[in-house]
Amino acid sequence: MKRLLPVLWIVGVMGLAALAQSALNDYYQRVLAVIAINIMLAVSLNLTNGFSGDFSLGHAAFMAIGAYTSAILTLPARTKAIVLPDLPPWLGQVELPFLIAILIGCALAGLVAFLVGLPVLRLRGHYLSVATLGLMVIVQVVALNWQPITRGARGISGLPPLTTLLWAYGLMLVTVMVIWRIVHSSLGRAMMAVREDELAAACRGVRVFRTRLFAFVTGALFASAAGALWAHLITAITPSSFSFLLTFNVVAMVVIGGAGSVSGSVIGAVLMTLLPELLRRVETALAIGGQPLYGLSQIVIAVLMLLVMIFRPQGLMGRHELIQVLAGLSGARNKPSSAPAELAGEAQRVA
Amino acid sequence: MLTPSYLIQQFINALNMGSIYALVAIGLTVVYGILRLINFAHGDMMTVGAYLALAVLSSLALPAWTALLIPVFVVAALGVLIERLAYRPLRGAPEVAMLITSLAVSSLIENGATMTLTAQPRPVRLPAELVQRVDALGINFAVMDGVIVALAVALMIALSLFVRRTTIGIAMRACSENVRVTQLMGIDVNRVIAVAFAISAGLAAVAGVLWSGKFGIVDPFMGFVPGLKAFVAAVIGGIGNIPGAMLGGYLLGFAEVFFVAFMPPEVSGYRDAFVFVLLLVVLLVRPSGLLGTREVNRA
Amino acid sequence: MFQARSRLPVLPVIALTLALVVSACAAPPPAAQPAQQPAAPAAETIKIGALYGVTGGMSSIDAPGMNGMKLAAKQINAAGGVLGKQIELIAIDGKTDQTATTNAASEMINVHKVVAIGGLNDSTFALAAGPIAQKAGIPFVTAGATLPTLPEQIGDYFFMAPFGDDAQAYAIADYAIDDLGAKTAYMLVDQAYDFTTALAKFFKERFTGRGGTIVLEDIYKSGDTDFSAQIAKVKALDPQPDVLFISAVPSEAGLTTKQFREAGLTAPIISGDGFDTTLIAEVAGENADDVYYSTHAGLDNPDPKVQNFVKAYTEEYGRPPENAFAALGYDTLNLIADAIKRAGSTDPKAIRDALAATQGFNAVTGQISYASGQRKPDKSITIIKVQDGKYSFVKEIKP
Repeated sequence: MKRLLPVLWIVGVMGLAALAQSALNDYYQRVLAVIAINIMLAVSLNLTNGFSGDFSLGHAAFMAIGAYTSAILTLPARTKAIVLPDLPPWLGQVELPFLIAILIGCALAGLVAFLVGLPVLRLRGHYLSVATLGLMVIVQVVALNWQPITRGARGISGLPPLTTLLWAYGLMLVTVMVIWRIVHSSLGRAMMAVREDELAAACRGVRVFRTRLFAFVTGALFASAAGALWAHLITAITPSSFSFLLTFNVVAMVVIGGAGSVSGSVIGAVLMTLLPELLRRVETALAIGGQPLYGLSQIVIAVLMLLVMIFRPQGLMGRHELIQVLAGLSGARNKPSSAPAELAGEAQRVA
Repeated sequence: MLTPSYLIQQFINALNMGSIYALVAIGLTVVYGILRLINFAHGDMMTVGAYLALAVLSSLALPAWTALLIPVFVVAALGVLIERLAYRPLRGAPEVAMLITSLAVSSLIENGATMTLTAQPRPVRLPAELVQRVDALGINFAVMDGVIVALAVALMIALSLFVRRTTIGIAMRACSENVRVTQLMGIDVNRVIAVAFAISAGLAAVAGVLWSGKFGIVDPFMGFVPGLKAFVAAVIGGIGNIPGAMLGGYLLGFAEVFFVAFMPPEVSGYRDAFVFVLLLVVLLVRPSGLLGTREVNRA
Repeated sequence: MFQARSRLPVLPVIALTLALVVSACAAPPPAAQPAQQPAAPAAETIKIGALYGVTGGMSSIDAPGMNGMKLAAKQINAAGGVLGKQIELIAIDGKTDQTATTNAASEMINVHKVVAIGGLNDSTFALAAGPIAQKAGIPFVTAGATLPTLPEQIGDYFFMAPFGDDAQAYAIADYAIDDLGAKTAYMLVDQAYDFTTALAKFFKERFTGRGGTIVLEDIYKSGDTDFSAQIAKVKALDPQPDVLFISAVPSEAGLTTKQFREAGLTAPIISGDGFDTTLIAEVAGENADDVYYSTHAGLDNPDPKVQNFVKAYTEEYGRPPENAFAALGYDTLNLIADAIKRAGSTDPKAIRDALAATQGFNAVTGQISYASGQRKPDKSITIIKVQDGKYSFVKEIKP
């Protein structure tokens, strides 16, 4: 039965996605696709920021790599001859299916993450954060200057709109399931051990550097896939698409959901995608003297972020998973996991 | 191209930018030292300071020099207030929680300013004596540029004396060593933190006034880029370390200006990438920044 | 927490949230929907989308555009509307964010059922939102995105209200050569925008094509405030260039002018419509001298059409139009309304055909005509001079 459960869920979620794809109009499909993409981003960022304890601010860099790679690889050769005449001939001719383009993007992002991770992951704490932020700036600057490949500030537009709900939710499922399995494997426990106490983990035989690098590279792979999906949803990308604001937004999803909880990241992503969308409709409708209160939705979200952090600093889910919470609510059994989790939280309170 | 006057001119330009970055970076580092908070709303304190200066300058009722003083005190008070409302309730929570609240505060200020003041950039006109240009031997700068460097250096000296000579300053340094032990010594940590925020926000206000005065413009997003750059500067120098932030600020100013000054345009587009590669190199050689001390199990 | 973690998959979580989301979306938010039609007018309205980045980085040029469109809607409605119906502007903020902008465009089309959309002043966002309207068969008129290839790139439902960057760059290059007698030029280009890089490309093409020389080409990135390093490079040039061409967006127009002039560089500064902002005089003050730029309209143009707009805008918002994008927004809605009137129908296809057939539409920013098969107008270009902090109309160049 347990073996069968994932299959059942895959069928269930994909069935829902297929239903939504046929029944809902373009607007709702778009919002749903954005939700799936944000879930992928948040869950994959959580691998480093929540589980292995390396607070990365460079997620948009990997998104950009995935987006540009799949954009260039899927653009019809005829279009490329016009918009990207300076591409190397082999790249100008090539026209790949979406999945292969996504996979190549993932491979590239993974490679970059590996090469960058080797030196950068020697850093700790906020030094690591600023170094990963730097990676994002560097990728952005390269995209801005590498004219023959990226068209610079003009960006690449007219991408085929390949991102359907089936693609988005299919890849989202893969992301969440893979990361769920990682987190609940010995590798995941090694990550958490590194997060809590590097020295102790090393003493117990955890290969600290390797574990952190693994988390960083894996996160990059899925961020790249999310970037490719995003590119083919929006159909126009420029270097400024992958900005600080985007990174901060994903970081906020992770922290609000609860760094260290996979379901928390999912919830954070859903909330932080739906809320602005709903609030925007309210702000457009709410007009004082005929003037809609543009900016209100951002302000409400900022206030909500403040309140969530003040009343639940560990994020909505903390380090728990929804399953545990639901089980706890039903009063079926005491969770043996909660005591160590709180201890771990205590250990982090230094100041 | 490499005439002495060109070199000196670029040196002056870099000194100017470095001074402002250093001021912003110090404010960031003072708070970081105690709370381990990367305050993403720090740049927005610059914005508030600049708008206040604009209000004072255009009111005409107040003398021009108050355009520096009023913003400093108001923004320092605002900094303390924000600390009380958005950061103190999170004392002891995971560090990332405060990072998120600082992002929220930043969004509040930027969008609040856009809603109430519109995003139209507004011109700032300085008194004529500050705008006057000094032009000698092919080197050209405004009186204002001199004021920026002088004021920045004076404030840095004052701050160094403050943290060395006064009780509260020493308490601040103690807090950045170890908050809990400091508390056990009978120091009112809340007061120390409030003072740190006041200093931090006050310095940002000065930087904001100088920035808007130098460039003649304010808009709701003006603090974002310098705030981020100051973060980089503080990290280069060793975040939490005041002399480190000064050094980092000047290094950043010089790196930026000299890269554009001595690189052909085909390459100078990579300026921001260069700055971060420089940062990475610094960090790889010295993982805690140039003047930072190795932290054990704190971040 | 390292052991005894439940082995159950996370899927229920996703399924649950997904189910919630689907059900939430399938039933349109009850709060927003009815409020969208204030006091439901007896006759049905004509819904037109107004899409701008009112908040965020584009706000300083998009917010005036939105105001311009609203002013036009108000005037049209006060005069009895179009085809006997009132215009209902579905005005949504794209937040200067590509995801929010595309969502907004899709919301306008699929939820509010607009018959046409206008707005957006930057091609980054037009290229993302345009294809959505194209696919749905809804005409989209960009108010201020000037990338000349936009209509070809997006399709036959996409129209430009402004001239293309090629036209304005050629105009200012010609003006520099013919009227300012320039033989050499310096170029400073903002590399962060599509618009600024395109403008520079077309300027260089024309200027060198007519025998001029570019002595130095330098770059910066939008958001930079300090140009001292670039300026020192120009000062080291010998001989000095005849003109300084600065390809910038409005927020840097004042900054660059101020700093170039304060550093003692006196050659004429020339640019495109990115310089069409009162900030040049306000920021640079008495240093705002000898600045020339090509743009859509001169607000001191005595043409009553222009003066009526300036007056109406000032009355409505308590300040004169911030920049040319206010006039372009105003023109965009009037252009759409005119097309609906000529089409005699609110069918999007008919509106598109009427738009494509626009001839000699008299807009604040010049006459709009679409040559057959073209959806970019051959508008006249205005050259403005700034002297002693005063803006004055110099001449109008027909392409």
